[in-house]
Amino acid sequence: MRVARWAGLGLVLTIACASAFAPLITGRDPNASGDDLLTGPSAEHWFGTDDLGRDVLTRTLHGGRISLTLGLGAAALGCAIGVPVGIAAGFARGWASTLLTQLIDLFIALPALVLALVVTVVVGPTLGNLMLVLGLVQWPGMARLVRGQSLVLREMAFVEAAWATGNTPAAVVRRHIWPNLARIVAAQFAISVSAAIFTSASLSFLGLGLPPPTPDWGGMVQGGFEYLSLNPLLCFGPGAAVTLTIFAFYVLGRTVD
Amino acid sequence: MLSLAARRLFLLVPNLVLLTFVVFAGMISWLGSPSTIMLGQDASPAAVRELDARYGFDQPVAVQYVRWIAAAAQGDLGRSVSTQQPVASMLSPAIPVTLELGLACILLALLVSLLANSIATGARIVQPLISAISVVGVTIPNFMLGAVLIYLFSVRLRWLPTTGWSPWSAGIGTHLMHMIMPVLTLSSFYACSFGLVYRAEYRATARLLFVRAARAKGLSETRVSYRHVLPNAVLPVITYAGLSLGQLVGGAVVTETIFSMPGIGRLLVSSVGSYDYPVILALTLLILVGVALANLGADLLYARVNPQVRV
Repeated sequence: MRVARWAGLGLVLTIACASAFAPLITGRDPNASGDDLLTGPSAEHWFGTDDLGRDVLTRTLHGGRISLTLGLGAAALGCAIGVPVGIAAGFARGWASTLLTQLIDLFIALPALVLALVVTVVVGPTLGNLMLVLGLVQWPGMARLVRGQSLVLREMAFVEAAWATGNTPAAVVRRHIWPNLARIVAAQFAISVSAAIFTSASLSFLGLGLPPPTPDWGGMVQGGFEYLSLNPLLCFGPGAAVTLTIFAFYVLGRTVD
Repeated sequence: MLSLAARRLFLLVPNLVLLTFVVFAGMISWLGSPSTIMLGQDASPAAVRELDARYGFDQPVAVQYVRWIAAAAQGDLGRSVSTQQPVASMLSPAIPVTLELGLACILLALLVSLLANSIATGARIVQPLISAISVVGVTIPNFMLGAVLIYLFSVRLRWLPTTGWSPWSAGIGTHLMHMIMPVLTLSSFYACSFGLVYRAEYRATARLLFVRAARAKGLSETRVSYRHVLPNAVLPVITYAGLSLGQLVGGAVVTETIFSMPGIGRLLVSSVGSYDYPVILALTLLILVGVALANLGADLLYARVNPQVRV
């Protein structure tokens, strides 16, 4: 477990660095087209070139920037909605609790990708909109987890004592509830990042990612799809990058708690 | 049992009405009048107004929604904006394709996950290996797995047809050959995620007294595992399978697109590309209702096998 946690963290950091320092690593412009179209791997182009002669490795490294921004932003939004709703659903009594729990149950079973697809086509695929859409499909998972944990915490003696000694609800949540939730929220945050990147890559594979020429993993896999026999790395380079990123965040999330 | 079903249905209807209304209103108010899409960008405002009046697009959103849902309840889902075909006749051949894919995937995933994770021997090598494969399986996106399979089995080995789809009428053998890769692509995620859920429950169940009693009777490890632990650890998997049906539809959308299968997923992607909003709305309605009903089915199945929740 401990090994897996450090491996997950190491992978996440490596991917983050590779994306952040992408311009320094290959020293190429991700959108600069060249004369060599659809060449296989070579010393000059490690992953070969695509149908416009652009360096696939450079584009793969740059693609991480979009995916990580989207994933982290969407997971943060999911937390911002999911944690308060989950705490409220866990601590409220009566109709408010029923209503919130119903709301979580309703949203958790919704087809996330289908909704994201429909909403994205309506609002348009910009970075901000995609983050919003992905965040909106991420919050129910977080809310359900936090609600479950809150139901347990609510019955604990130290929480009852905190109420009994006249603390305000805000103080109880901040000093007694939140410290006991932070760890599972952090774990679920990492899993949310991985799920959001999964969904965003699927969306852009289906043609609803950021418009070209932005290097975007899902869209690159889609673009490389028809050239599988010419240069499989066109598809598998970005495909492996997105899989590795989803894997890294998932492993991190599963091993934190 | 019946009252549970009735109560769940009673809650379901308002939820569905609310959700479809939000999608409908969002689409109508954001994308603008469908007349503009029908007539093109250069249409004169007078022509757009005329078409609006003829189809009732100038009415308030709530009125349009009620009309739409009332017509939908009678099987009239309108006409496609781009092909002018009735939407219902576009949906009906697509539904069985997706249903077959989805059912095959769920069944295969349940079978593989339960059988593989109940293997009682090989605690040092086999079981950790299965767990590791499961984690990889839930993190590899469908489009990546599909591309890898196509590259291996079609481009390199030439064992299986690349893409396309062949109806039952074209011969069972050909049909099944075309189904192998899509089913593998879509079901691997579920086999692995069911496996992770099942494994946790399996471990908890295996520690219980009745399992030790079964072992003490002298039953083999395999028999204890499959006959005594499995039936008692399967419940959370059913709940989880029910909850993941929505995600399954999403996976089907991607899978059908990769393998060019004429199901509702690919129809959704193509209608989204052409802003064909009657088709998008009809598909959203169909998917939401389908997922909700399937979910209800999973809950009832759960209640059926676990008498404790039948209150």
